[in-house]
Amino acid sequence: MSGLFGDGPAEVVGTWVAALVTLVVLGSMLGERRVFGWSQHLLAGLATGFLALVAIREVIAPRLVEPLAADPGGRPELWGGVALVAAAAAAPWLPRRITAVPTSVAIGALAAFALAGAVVGTLLPQLGAAIARPGGGLGATAVGVIGAVVTGLVLIGFVHGVPRGRILTSAAAVGRWLLIVGIGAWLGYLVLSRLILLLDRIGFLLGDWLGLVP
Amino acid sequence: MSERRVSWALLGPGLLVVVLGAAWLLPELPALGLEASDDGAPAGMGATFDELGPDPLVLVGFDADIGTYAEVRPTVRTVMADLLARDARIAFVSLTVEGRAVALAEQARLERAEANANRLLDLGLIPGAEAGLVDLTKGIRPGENPTAQAFAREVAATGIAAFDAIVVVGGNDLGPRSWIEQVAPRIEPVPIVAITPSVLLPEVLPYVASGQLAALLGTPRDGAAYRATAEVGPLERLVEPGGPRPLPVLIGLLVALGVMGQALVVRLIGATRSLGDRDDA
Repeated sequence: MSGLFGDGPAEVVGTWVAALVTLVVLGSMLGERRVFGWSQHLLAGLATGFLALVAIREVIAPRLVEPLAADPGGRPELWGGVALVAAAAAAPWLPRRITAVPTSVAIGALAAFALAGAVVGTLLPQLGAAIARPGGGLGATAVGVIGAVVTGLVLIGFVHGVPRGRILTSAAAVGRWLLIVGIGAWLGYLVLSRLILLLDRIGFLLGDWLGLVP
Repeated sequence: MSERRVSWALLGPGLLVVVLGAAWLLPELPALGLEASDDGAPAGMGATFDELGPDPLVLVGFDADIGTYAEVRPTVRTVMADLLARDARIAFVSLTVEGRAVALAEQARLERAEANANRLLDLGLIPGAEAGLVDLTKGIRPGENPTAQAFAREVAATGIAAFDAIVVVGGNDLGPRSWIEQVAPRIEPVPIVAITPSVLLPEVLPYVASGQLAALLGTPRDGAAYRATAEVGPLERLVEPGGPRPLPVLIGLLVALGVMGQALVVRLIGATRSLGDRDDA
């Protein structure tokens, strides 16, 4: 089964707690929402606690505090990091011009990395692969053409605020319907993933907890 | 809503859970076996591992999502057992806190199953999302690893170039796409393979077609086929017996289709009736 619990006393208690919380969550489907609300609080509290623990043990201590303590002048960029973190943490009491700096740096850096990576790692290689298909037959070419047409129609579907002719309006409508079809297909995959999660929980109750399944 | 519909809305999900539980307890039907995958995905994974040299170093980007991990968990465990059976040394790294939580649980499981600790290295959480991935290509700072010190020294000295392959366990925000976008262009070519839940399939399949992903196990069927063919020898204890059972999956999918179809039929009937009423008027 899940195998995330061992055989020791602590693990047995863990299995029981996990089973009871699973029953509480499943019970919410039958209308029992109060205990389910407590289980949500438990999950949020555990997640926050784990996040804080990981942030302190694996990020702040080894990557910020220890290098600064070992050699305060050796890594000046870390002092800049400390200033940005302090500005973000003291946001409620500092002027907006100051608190906007860490947010801007974070968003700008994220956008720069994401955009450059998308162009170099996805857009150009995917365009290349779509244009030059080694050994691709008529079927592969047809799939490529259909893909290009669908992509174009969906992109046209996003065009807003410009004067449109009849053809462009029709293409945009078709593009929006294709987008909905695509999202629907994606939803199908999501249903499968979530269904397997539900089955895994049922398997956990029947196997790990009740021992009905070897 | 009528009383009858309220009763169904409350009892229906509970009934579904009971039916799925009963189906889970039934013996497996060979006709519903998922192992008979013929799309080459499992073979591609095996072939990629076959091409690794002796004593390979494998970097595992472990960023699974708790909501979808159940789908890939048996396959991930078999891949780990397969790699260890090939005398690989495995380093785990995560870029999301959720992925880190799952990675820690899996490493604890490997420890309990007495996997060779000298072959397992925990690189911890790399903060910074995409920037963290880029940082990973510049250098790796393994923390304290009392059991795999030689492995840690080798990785610290050589960085990401030390690794012969990268296995990405996807599901969270930073999955195979992020590795292909941020890591692959910045390092010497190494095979990147991925294990992802079905929900990521539309996102990652193009990378398989373009060759940017050397192999992908992206569906329960691929996973089952890979698990059926992987030879892990004495490391069978690291493998999770079974996987998602096909019969309850089939029943659940049929119910989902029925619910969606029922909603569509109700709307169609409503539209037809309103048209009829308009004609009568």
